[in-house]
Amino acid sequence: MPSVTFDRVRKQFGDVTIVEEFNLHVADGELLVLVGGSGSGKSTLLRMVAGLESVSSGTIRIDDRDITHLAPRERDVAMVFQDYALYPHLTVRENLSLGLTLRRVPRQEIARRVAWAGGMLGLDALLDRKPKQLSGGQRQRVAMGRAMVREPLVFLFDEPLSNLDAGLRAQMRIEIGGLQRRLMTTTIYVTHDQVEAMTLGDRIVVLADGRIQQVGRPIELYRRPVNRFVAGFIGTPPMNFIEGRFGDAHAAFVADGVRLALTGETMSAPSAAPITLGIRPEDLQLVFGALGAGESTGSRLTGKVVLVERLGGTSHVHFDVGANRLMASVSQERLPVVGERIEVLVPSDRVHLFGADGEALARGM
Amino acid sequence: MKQLTRGALYVGLVVAALTFIYPFLWMASSTLKPPMEVGSLSLIPDRATLENYRIMWGRAPFGRALLNSVLVASTITAAVLVFGSITAYAMARLTFPGKRALNAATMAVLLIPGQLTLIPLYTLIVQLGWIDTYAALIVPYLFNATAILMLRQFFLQIPQSLIDSARMDGMSELRILFTIFWPLTRPALAIVAIFTFMGSWNEVLWPLLVVRDQHTMTLPQLLTVFALGGGAGTLGVSLAAAMVLVVPVVVAYMFLQRYFIESMAGAGVKG
Repeated sequence: MPSVTFDRVRKQFGDVTIVEEFNLHVADGELLVLVGGSGSGKSTLLRMVAGLESVSSGTIRIDDRDITHLAPRERDVAMVFQDYALYPHLTVRENLSLGLTLRRVPRQEIARRVAWAGGMLGLDALLDRKPKQLSGGQRQRVAMGRAMVREPLVFLFDEPLSNLDAGLRAQMRIEIGGLQRRLMTTTIYVTHDQVEAMTLGDRIVVLADGRIQQVGRPIELYRRPVNRFVAGFIGTPPMNFIEGRFGDAHAAFVADGVRLALTGETMSAPSAAPITLGIRPEDLQLVFGALGAGESTGSRLTGKVVLVERLGGTSHVHFDVGANRLMASVSQERLPVVGERIEVLVPSDRVHLFGADGEALARGM
Repeated sequence: MKQLTRGALYVGLVVAALTFIYPFLWMASSTLKPPMEVGSLSLIPDRATLENYRIMWGRAPFGRALLNSVLVASTITAAVLVFGSITAYAMARLTFPGKRALNAATMAVLLIPGQLTLIPLYTLIVQLGWIDTYAALIVPYLFNATAILMLRQFFLQIPQSLIDSARMDGMSELRILFTIFWPLTRPALAIVAIFTFMGSWNEVLWPLLVVRDQHTMTLPQLLTVFALGGGAGTLGVSLAAAMVLVVPVVVAYMFLQRYFIESMAGAGVKG
């Protein structure tokens, strides 16, 4: 299986830069997820690999073959589109086999591959239907089958699940992941949904404004975000942020109604400079009475509960600390009521600090 | 009450339909009447006869004219569909330098009345030595700005991902046009086809200018020359000639009316 290499790839439309110098190596059989908000350049990158968008400068290689200026059909990549892009006037079978017919694949081989993909995706009974007669999930499977029968070097997925409802999305996510592991085809997957990115990706690339923010395994991005954007983007519910500054010669974080002791050696940001503290909702602990055994140490915040959302297994407790509204995601039985004053434990080893420029401040733990 | 309204509606529609269809039926039946009877308003001839058709056929080469008309109108229709959709595809879905200017120029063509170009076009045809040829009847009509703009509008509605997908499947642009776009825009193509065919079929002024030889004349032209020149003699014979002119268009319409009404209703492309 081949690798994909981006070497200083740029994309401009007139004066507007869509993708800044992009360097990345996607390994053999890897499932790489490009994630970012709209306008981050993630789809443009994918379309450049597909050959549907020209590259302003730089090169894209599949293994050692430079594909930067090849026509889409010469690249041996297959793409699954957001709206499936099935030919409405052709049956499922014809949709699956068209790409092969155009490549002059022998008829028996086409039949074999269509049967193989149909069996793998559970499309056997649907082969003679038109796309209009299929449900969203079935159309999605046909779109995947169409990519599979081509037996391409690289799979490209452009937000393939965003037109499905939540339940089906979760199911198809598992199917895509399973399929990719079985076929071991190098895959680049674009999504704006960080849950998809976290669950599917061997590695994730977080993009914003056409620039790579961070590349890493999902858990790395979650544990050690390199900047505030990644910290806020990865993880649901999103990370809490509090604007403030250092106090006590870098030993504490101070903000409106907040004073948190910082452990370890905080690096050398000027004392007066504004900084941001980030803490994930699932890292906050509600404290009722004395600190129990096994609870980690850290500073406490005092807040006033404004909203409690019970989701079943977990609950979201929204509370105000000074001018800051924070949220704790807790799984405990006992929950505060609205208006109650609560104590919240902030484990100091789970705290993230970001400088005025949004970059994470390195801290010795 | 509701049924009463409905009844009244049907009566109204029937009256309207009869008003429109009566003259046509009268014409059709009058061609079968002997000269003495043609003046009457009845729809059923007392003594039906094909005499009028026989006289008409004998006096001028109407058979040849009918073939000429079919040849000219179908060639023009096919060309307008093929060239029109190629141009419309480029204008709707490709990026190239001068695209906006081309769009504007096509639009501008619609603003120029046909009569204005009649004389320069005629001079051109004379200089090319095309007088009395099929080329003179066909070539000036091979491209049609209205058809291009109409098809462009329909082509704009087809999702980009279908084109992307087809390109990745290995299709050339022409193949995408004819194997993906054409099946998906059948109503639009049908309406362009029927308008072009009818326009060409009914055209009299241009053939009168460039064709003088009876054997190259189209049907409406020959009919005009025949009727105005007094060749018909009786009203029944004139009507028989008109009938020959009108039947092919009516038949074509009956075949295509499903598409015709679909595109009139703006159904267009369904995702």
